[in-house]
Amino acid sequence: MSLDYVKSTPGFEKFMPKDYRDMIDHGPFGKKVSVSQVGTFKEILEEHPMCAGCAMTLFIRLSLIALPNPEDTIIVGTAGCGRLVLSQAAVPFVYGNYGDTNAVASGLKRGLMTRFPDKHKDVVVMAGDGGLADIGFSMMMHSWFRKEKFTTIMLDNEVYGNTGGQESGMTNIGSVLKMAPLGKKFEKIDMPELAKTAGCAYVAMVVPNNPKRVEQCIKKAILIAREVGPTYIQAYTSCNIEYAIPTDKVMEDAKNVENDRYQFKEYISEDAKQYLGEKWGYKEYARKAIQTAEVAK
Amino acid sequence: MYLVANIDPNICGATSCTLCTQFCPEANTIQYDKERKTAFVSVDRCKGCAQCVWVCDNMAKHHAIKMIMIDQLPEEFANKLTKNMSYEQENLKPSPINK
Ligand SMILES: Cc1ncc(C[n+]2csc(CCOP(=O)(O)OP(=O)(O)O)c2C)c(N)n1
Ligand code: SF4
Ligand code: SF4
Ligand code: SF4
Repeated sequence: MSLDYVKSTPGFEKFMPKDYRDMIDHGPFGKKVSVSQVGTFKEILEEHPMCAGCAMTLFIRLSLIALPNPEDTIIVGTAGCGRLVLSQAAVPFVYGNYGDTNAVASGLKRGLMTRFPDKHKDVVVMAGDGGLADIGFSMMMHSWFRKEKFTTIMLDNEVYGNTGGQESGMTNIGSVLKMAPLGKKFEKIDMPELAKTAGCAYVAMVVPNNPKRVEQCIKKAILIAREVGPTYIQAYTSCNIEYAIPTDKVMEDAKNVENDRYQFKEYISEDAKQYLGEKWGYKEYARKAIQTAEVAK
Repeated sequence: MYLVANIDPNICGATSCTLCTQFCPEANTIQYDKERKTAFVSVDRCKGCAQCVWVCDNMAKHHAIKMIMIDQLPEEFANKLTKNMSYEQENLKPSPINK
């Protein structure tokens, strides 16, 4: 959880595996990296057991590249596919019980704010649609009502992927799954709207087939959560196993789903815009902040 | 025996758009060789999903990637395993100070 902890003790470098040395010398710690530079630096994600071609893997990979300060970040996850890859990254990973993520993250963030009052430590929850929209629903909503300062990212594959295909609150109406053979009878929960109503300062809906956009959303959500309030990102991360999508068609599917029901949406509160503009040099919001100030005069 | 992605350096080198690198679900797998101006696959990490083939064919429209049996790899790329990797690093700037 700090750059110094990641570094090897002097003299011991040669005993560390090559992957680790590469991570120190050519990784993103303490540096500014971008998805457009992938392939030229060492990523902090290692090999893992997620299915070949899984869009969730791609989304998490992009998210890890987008972390503004990976050396000062803790990720909270839970049961479900995502933890299989999150636990293989060089960022501390806390495994909350299924459903508990946002309660665990609330306590963790408050503790970090007390322990490190002069530094931001970013807490990011990454969990499945079942983990957040079903069993973790009340804890997620209450963390937002309480304005807890961390980011929640839903890995929305619209199914319980890890346990073989049960429907979740985020499954679409009519979807037939292995363990929902009659088809889902209710609408998909409109979680982005609930997040807005509950007081999130930033809400976005993305698909992974636009890496640059994923990166921008993650950066904004994490920065805003540092000082303004809770933030929420909902990402379509198809399960090619449960929805029988051939692995080489996963991006085609993401494109179709984006056009159909997952258009990019972003909500940023006025406070959050001002914060991004003033503190982090986002020109588009800085200008708007000045304009509104002038109108107010 | 199983299939892995193989990039033709002659086709890729013409543009080397780096698009496939951003879409491979696996980290540290499609790397970029600045000297030879081509993307290449660290085959020991490739899971054979062929997503990069779709991206190169349909998004980049360069048709530089084919899936081939791992024992059929051209020698030069078979040598590009993760343990032989070296990373380029010139463009990395310090991150904004976190206070
Ligand atoms: C309290 C509790 N109930 C049930 C389970 C079993 N369980 C493990 S993963 C999972 C489903 C995960 O689905 P989701 O959260 O949508 O994530 P996905 O695997 O689809 O990414 C369930 C029900 C558990 N681990 N803990
Ligand atoms: S079961 Fe589905 S969501 Fe889980 S790793 Fe496999 S493809 Fe991805
Ligand atoms: S998408 Fe094709 S042309 Fe572009 S870098 Fe990859 S292999 Fe080369
Ligand atoms: S086949 Fe899949 S895992 Fe292998 S390089 Fe291509 S996108 Fe990556």
